[in-house]
Amino acid sequence: MEQTAKHMGATLPPLLHTKPPKRVIVGNIVYYVCGILLSILFLFPLVYMLATSTKSESVFAADAGTLRMFLPDFAHLGTMFENYKTVLTEYDIWKYALNSLVYAGIVIVLNIIVNGLAGYVMAKMNFPGKRLFSFLIIFLIVVPVETSIIPLYLIVKTMLGLKGSLSILGVIFPATISVFNIFLFMQFFEGIPKEFEEAARMDGANTMDIFFRIILPLSKPIVATVAVFCFIGVWNDYVWPAMILPVTEPGEWPLLPIQAALTTIQSIEMITTGEVMASLVVTSIPIFIIYVVAQKYIVQGFGSAGLKM
Amino acid sequence: MKRIRNILVAALLILAMIFAFASCGTDGTGDGDGDGDTVEPEVDEQGNTVVRVMVHVDAKSAEGIAYQKRIDAFNRAYADEKIRATIIYKARTSGASSYETELNTMRLEGTLPDIITFDAPNCASYAFSELIYDITDLVPTDVQNDFYAISLNTYNGRLYGLPIQESSAGFFYNKKIFAAAGIDVSAYSVENPWTFAQFKDVCARLKSYLGDGKAVDMRLDATKDETATYLLYPFIYAAGGEFTSADGFTAQGYLNSDASKNGFRFLRELVDAKYTSNTINPTDFFTGKVGMYLSSGWTIPDLDNKYPDTFASRDDWGLLPYPKEVSAASATGSWSFGLTDNGKADKTPAVKLLLWLTSAESSKAITDTTGMIPARKSVETNYAVGSPEYTLLKQLELSGRARPATVAYPNFSTAFSQIIYKISIGSVDDFMATIDTQTATLQREMNSKK
Amino acid sequence: MIQPTYLLAAKSSNGSAQMIRSTLIIALVFVAAFLVLFAVDLWRKRGKRDGYRLRSSVTAYLMLLPAVVLAFIFIMLPILYSLGYAFTNFNLMRPEKTMNDFVGLANFQRAFEEIRDRGTLYHAIINTLKFVVGVVPLQIGLALGLAIFVNRPKPGVKIFKVCFFAPVVISLSVTSYLWLSILSPSETGLLNSLIGIFGAEPHDWLRDPKTAMLWIVILSAWQGCGYQMLIFLSGLTNIRSDLYEAASLDGAGAWQKFLHITCPGLRSTFVFVLVTVFIGACRVMIQPMLMTGYQEHTVTLSYFMYYTGYRDYSVGYSSAVALLMTIIIGIITFVQRRVLKEK
Repeated sequence: MEQTAKHMGATLPPLLHTKPPKRVIVGNIVYYVCGILLSILFLFPLVYMLATSTKSESVFAADAGTLRMFLPDFAHLGTMFENYKTVLTEYDIWKYALNSLVYAGIVIVLNIIVNGLAGYVMAKMNFPGKRLFSFLIIFLIVVPVETSIIPLYLIVKTMLGLKGSLSILGVIFPATISVFNIFLFMQFFEGIPKEFEEAARMDGANTMDIFFRIILPLSKPIVATVAVFCFIGVWNDYVWPAMILPVTEPGEWPLLPIQAALTTIQSIEMITTGEVMASLVVTSIPIFIIYVVAQKYIVQGFGSAGLKM
Repeated sequence: MKRIRNILVAALLILAMIFAFASCGTDGTGDGDGDGDTVEPEVDEQGNTVVRVMVHVDAKSAEGIAYQKRIDAFNRAYADEKIRATIIYKARTSGASSYETELNTMRLEGTLPDIITFDAPNCASYAFSELIYDITDLVPTDVQNDFYAISLNTYNGRLYGLPIQESSAGFFYNKKIFAAAGIDVSAYSVENPWTFAQFKDVCARLKSYLGDGKAVDMRLDATKDETATYLLYPFIYAAGGEFTSADGFTAQGYLNSDASKNGFRFLRELVDAKYTSNTINPTDFFTGKVGMYLSSGWTIPDLDNKYPDTFASRDDWGLLPYPKEVSAASATGSWSFGLTDNGKADKTPAVKLLLWLTSAESSKAITDTTGMIPARKSVETNYAVGSPEYTLLKQLELSGRARPATVAYPNFSTAFSQIIYKISIGSVDDFMATIDTQTATLQREMNSKK
Repeated sequence: MIQPTYLLAAKSSNGSAQMIRSTLIIALVFVAAFLVLFAVDLWRKRGKRDGYRLRSSVTAYLMLLPAVVLAFIFIMLPILYSLGYAFTNFNLMRPEKTMNDFVGLANFQRAFEEIRDRGTLYHAIINTLKFVVGVVPLQIGLALGLAIFVNRPKPGVKIFKVCFFAPVVISLSVTSYLWLSILSPSETGLLNSLIGIFGAEPHDWLRDPKTAMLWIVILSAWQGCGYQMLIFLSGLTNIRSDLYEAASLDGAGAWQKFLHITCPGLRSTFVFVLVTVFIGACRVMIQPMLMTGYQEHTVTLSYFMYYTGYRDYSVGYSSAVALLMTIIIGIITFVQRRVLKEK
């Protein structure tokens, strides 16, 4: 991390405790200007989304082509959140959001246990027939999943016969197993020194104890990484839940998660651009919060897993 | 060496699985199909027989509310007979899940409702795959004869559905703009439609008044769903073209015949001459930026109520029929109610609801909110001569032609949309080649169904 | 919510009994293969010191069991079924009647005919190629550049990181809808109103065959590169800083240090990113699905398979295309890893 700064100093005479040299100041200015420009490149559609979500259709049309496109509708402060009100109450978007949160929560817990256990076994234990599983892990990472989405649909619908509200299991189970996560866990656990386990074994702990009491707490970065990407995966998954979850009768609690509901809202005739944008904002907020909280761990998680394919 | 052995083991494993799959796939033919299955009727806590309906519109739409009202009325009327109807809404969306795929999922699960709505051109495809039930003997003949156009709901001479409403489309036009541009269209009527050349002439004059691409909104961009297919297929019939053979199993030589290509060429000429364009906003006609708008009867309520700034009254807009060339043709067909083949032996309650939903009374209640044409002749229609509703009804009787009845209709619709898409993007690619390739693709699909 | 009678009131699906039977057979083959390897392993380690211990092996199998069962049902079986369906005329509208209708290589022949006739499949392949060729270098280049940019101990880089990662957090479908509105063909769309300031005519970006795929590439790279930035960032923090110091003392410039220290140091990270971005790019589907619908100029292979299989019901044909695609992607991935593997 410090190498860059040190390098910058090294090319200049060491002038400690004095005013920074001009070149460094210019460099800093250039750096921040570039950073801000790049940030604008990544943020302007989001700012546009936020700004438009506060506007009625006529204000939106009037603002087009001017800089006001990127500013909220301050002229009508009283009705600024009218679109959000419509989206949340009339289209019940909060119910779908709650569904997504519940699905994501279940998937995260199951995913970490199932794949973590498998990753631990593959990293730390030896048993006859291990080669078969090592091969399958590498093989299944490479095969594109979308190519088999229709057979998967048939398996869930006819062989397992998941229908009605049981279809939720069809959303949760396929998301629970992730060969890629097994791979991530495997790589991480390989880096944990054997001494930890051996010490615990001396104290009479069994393998499950070791996994839950020692290995998992030592693996916070990778657990956080898997959890965050599980959450992003479930929250953002759209095609699969839309395929297998049934429609519900009016008055019943809907089963669809938020992204699938989003498409339904999009195809409502006469929906305004502002309402579309408001629904997009609402669907993005929870995931944004989760990310900001877990950000620190993700980089660590990837860094320590090594990621050699 | 170790690696090679690993790969060999894996290859053997996979091969073994393939053979396992193949061998067990072939021995399962003796199962027979489930036609003999009978499923007991569903009964709720109060002892009512439950009949389920699924419709293709959103619960909050005007049409959805109209259905709910008819269902409520049915439940009141049949409370003594202990029949209770419930309704499920599954709006058609363009994303990953649609009304059609939902139907299929329900069938795989075995949770099909008793009555469904279906787009009439899909009738052959659904009947062929035994999704919908033969109702020829369940619906009284006098009821069958009371419908304007029931033929689209038949397959191999048997009846599979009853239309909810009928539809016809045409060119809505802005009378103020026409007057200002000095265009007189009073001579063109359903009885005496305009020709392709006259249509282009009007477009040319509108273009010089309104600017490039603003003469007419041909809806060439509506290819994400069935809209473009529904509105534009009559032009191919009008040019003397066809889509498929009578049995619906041959597209080669029909969809890509010279006459059909002439129809597509006409649409392309409108794009090339900049009479229409892709950048027309869907609301441009309603805000007075575009002169003509190709649409169906469902636009009438919008014109009456939603845009008082442009269209204060019915004096401000009019409706022109489809232009004719070799023959006159106009868009028809709408959604129908049908019974599903869900294994229930006793169809009586479902038939009662079906007849209720397609009764003259229901037909009137539903078409009043949708602006479409009642499907039954016995519904009182006192449209004034020259009114848009009259034009649509008259056009339906005189020149309405159905979309092709083929078991590969979904594929036909895809192919047609692809061609329209190619036409809409202007003078970039050779769209004639697209017609040939899409016809070939469709033909291969038909061959696989023979 | 769902009454039991509703569940019972169903026409039994006859595909299921047969599917269960073939699943059992596949499972048996799987177990048999395992037993063979099991026996071989035991034989090779017989009487040796580092031999297997029964207790620990049993524990290992038990711990693997949930993952194996789930992976078997939800990953392996679909792939194998897809393999089998590729040789049938399976139509989703008539599952019972067509599931066993074996047609040999007819589906593959149909695929080659459609490619030869420049049909939709041909366009799907071309568009997928365009997308992969466009998005892989763009996304990886952006990600690497951004990672190097934020890998500095300056105040405020955390904010930059959040900004660059923000599009990853909002999902692909939200991104698609957002850009659909930005690229809207009407005058009020963001891009059209921006170019309108300079007097340009509004343009239909997503229907113009020249620009449609380009915009899908741009917005996909824009959306995804933050993710790979984080991966590169973790790779960069693993490079020892004394290497840079030594290079500085030798008078190496920034570019030389990038070439001789950063690049080799990032090699394994790079291979990982390349493989995952490549596979991800081959699967592109949601963007064209939500933004343009099923259109020749934007349809991709995944979308084609989904559409023919699920919307047009031809599962057999769709599976044949899937099989071809899996083989091609598998080969390319294998070659990539071979070529880029550390010596």
